[in-house]
Amino acid sequence: MSALTDFLSEARNSAANLADFLSRGRALRLGVTGLSRAGKTVFITALAQHLTTLAHAAAEGRRNPLPVFRLAAEGRLVSGRLEPQPDDHIARFAIEDHVAALTGPDRHWPQSTRQISELRLRLDFVRRKGSGASPSSLVIDIVDYPGEWLLDLPLLEKSYVEWSRETFAASAAAARATLAAEWRGHAIGLAPSGPADETEARRTAELFTAYLKAARGEAYALATLPPGRFLMPGDLEGSPALTFAPLPLPEGYAIAPGTLAAMMERRYEAYKNHVVKPFFRDHFARLDRQIVLVDALSALNSGPAALRDLQHALDEVLAAFRVGRGNPLSRLFRPKIDKILIAATKADHLHHLSHDRLEAILRQLTARAVARSEFSGAAVDVIAMAAIRATREAAVRRGRETIDAIVGTPLAGERLDGDIFDGETEAAIFPGQLPANPREAFRGDALATPEGEADYRFLRFRPPAPTFGTDGKPLPAPHIRLDRAFQFLFGDRLS
Amino acid sequence: MSDAPRPRPRAFRLDELEPGQSRDFVLEARPDAYEAEAALLADPAERAAEEAQASGFLRGASFGWAGLLLSSLGGLAAFSFGLWLDQLVELLFARSPALGFIGLGLAGLALLALGALVGRETLAILRQRKVALLHKALALAHETDDREMARRKVGELVGLYHGRQALAAASAHLSDLRREIVDGRDLIEIAERQLMPALDAEARREIADAAKRVSLVSAISPRASVDLIVVAAQALRLIRRIAEIYGGRPGLLGAWRLARAVGAHLAITGGMALTDGLAQQIIGHGLAAKISARLGEGVVNGTLTARIGLSAISVCRPMPFSTEKAPGLGDVAPFLFSNSGKSGENPAGPQP
Repeated sequence: MSALTDFLSEARNSAANLADFLSRGRALRLGVTGLSRAGKTVFITALAQHLTTLAHAAAEGRRNPLPVFRLAAEGRLVSGRLEPQPDDHIARFAIEDHVAALTGPDRHWPQSTRQISELRLRLDFVRRKGSGASPSSLVIDIVDYPGEWLLDLPLLEKSYVEWSRETFAASAAAARATLAAEWRGHAIGLAPSGPADETEARRTAELFTAYLKAARGEAYALATLPPGRFLMPGDLEGSPALTFAPLPLPEGYAIAPGTLAAMMERRYEAYKNHVVKPFFRDHFARLDRQIVLVDALSALNSGPAALRDLQHALDEVLAAFRVGRGNPLSRLFRPKIDKILIAATKADHLHHLSHDRLEAILRQLTARAVARSEFSGAAVDVIAMAAIRATREAAVRRGRETIDAIVGTPLAGERLDGDIFDGETEAAIFPGQLPANPREAFRGDALATPEGEADYRFLRFRPPAPTFGTDGKPLPAPHIRLDRAFQFLFGDRLS
Repeated sequence: MSDAPRPRPRAFRLDELEPGQSRDFVLEARPDAYEAEAALLADPAERAAEEAQASGFLRGASFGWAGLLLSSLGGLAAFSFGLWLDQLVELLFARSPALGFIGLGLAGLALLALGALVGRETLAILRQRKVALLHKALALAHETDDREMARRKVGELVGLYHGRQALAAASAHLSDLRREIVDGRDLIEIAERQLMPALDAEARREIADAAKRVSLVSAISPRASVDLIVVAAQALRLIRRIAEIYGGRPGLLGAWRLARAVGAHLAITGGMALTDGLAQQIIGHGLAAKISARLGEGVVNGTLTARIGLSAISVCRPMPFSTEKAPGLGDVAPFLFSNSGKSGENPAGPQP
């Protein structure tokens, strides 16, 4: 039965692909993958803003903001513009709102994403001389979604019993035990073979959700917390598909019909079938290129336990994607991701001399996913990146010592070194040094490390003060290595 | 490393100062590191070299009607030649068996020589292609700091110069280092410093000699057509010489492909080099032309030859210029611009 549905969805995918190919010609689906707070929305905003204004940069006499992105450097970009998206039932990516948030009088980062949205970008360009200097165009489709939902992808492979056991095992770990205490206390007392009781189910689901939300909190920054809709329900709030929780089940437990466990299992399966599968099928099963945004800095702030947790989450999530080198036929029917860029976002929070170490830690974080992708023939690159650069670099000299620091306006409430910032004052920050050996960052059990004990502390900064073009519209903000990311992700399709 | 206490994170507030207040630290601005990094990645000179190499040696077969016509005509010609040979040998046999055997033997020898020539040409083209691929791979390994690729490719680079007395010591040194040095970018830079300066100097000398010869001949030659032949012949000779210096072995067809790559490079850099070459050229030409029209012609032809030589260096060099500076017109032919006094500008021009 399941094999048949898999086959059917596979066939539907292939048909949709072929239709896409025929109707659009050269197109590229870019998968922007990242857990929540990794910076997906800011990345997509910066990408759209840069690519739509890039063609005017030269005409207005501005410096090319993306020198490594060869299309513009070679003067072959004719225009870039937003186009109506393909799916009418999905919200449009609210780029104007996000730009307004970033550049308005009270500039702030966009709110966390609550629903799926779509964006389509068309680049008109001239081919390289070698291939006949003809005008051509490339359509880039991007989807933005709450990062929490990504955590659900690994669930597709797990049964209810497996998931229950894993969740219980994870919540018993030292890092989470205190957060999970209340829910665990309640759940241990439940009898899985007892009668199905709606009040009981709601109570335990509420406690379970509270635990997940606490663990997601900023101080802890844990990542492996499926199901994602519990954290960000979208339009499913209160529906039975979200009213379930893991139960303490022994291994190989046979669930009898009519029991509490049976009800939970049914809802778990419904969640997978009606929520996770369509999400995966519509947005992730047909990607050409992928960028994986990783917010390694909050995990580093929290401690080694959070970092290991992030490693586990990324590994499980990335395993769900279809990666490998394709051929012309497979590109028609069954595209595979043939290039993956893994980017540590918010690289402006530390000095560029530390970027090598951050990249080393990121490699360690995604080692298994990288190995898997390279084995299947996909090209993988790892960079430290900032889609919007909120700081500049400077050196602080006091007495005889000179410290490399970054200068920016820390967000209100950020604290470091006894200072609590108000979101208005500028400050030069020395965030500390990352270890030279990336493995060192993973060693230990610390979680939610207090500020006074940490070797490093990465503050968050306000968006940079905006600059405006001659037409009064905000110009794209400065960035770090965004052009390198563009070149890697779609430079070869623009030659 | 981990034993030493790490410096603690610190914050230095930069509030507005009240009058009379002062800070106990000084904030020093630093140049933007990311711009330098981007400039390194987007070096137009390097891209021009790669593109020219691609159009010369790396281009795959592409379909065209002209190509189809030529190859089919070539096939027909080969058939008619075979037919003619067959008839000739038969006629010789008809006249006397001895003559027939001699004819057959001669035809066999001709075929053997043809086969050897074709083989040598193919090898030469493959070798030139290998140099171009090596250039691309080394540039990429340098850019991405890829240790494994750097090791492999530096090994190939050393292999390319196997048997050259002047580079033997440097090659041996590099082969040892290949096992020790960790960083890919460093390895490539050391390889460049060890191997390339001698070759670069030789190539530069060749260019200077050719430019001198050309300008002298143009200045004293009786007819313009003689100029033209001299410039063309010298340019072709120069390109071949430079390819040989850097480890290529261009044959006849190889030289044609090489010339195509150099032409492509000239065309690509022509637009970028406006600031450097052309200005100097015009000034030089103007001054020399005031003295004598012939002298001015000599300067122009000499400059052209030098430009061709510089493009040939970019195309034939098995690695990009990263630590060594790319030679400019002033470096190879200072005698052409004795008044300008400055030298060493990148032939591909500064950043746009």
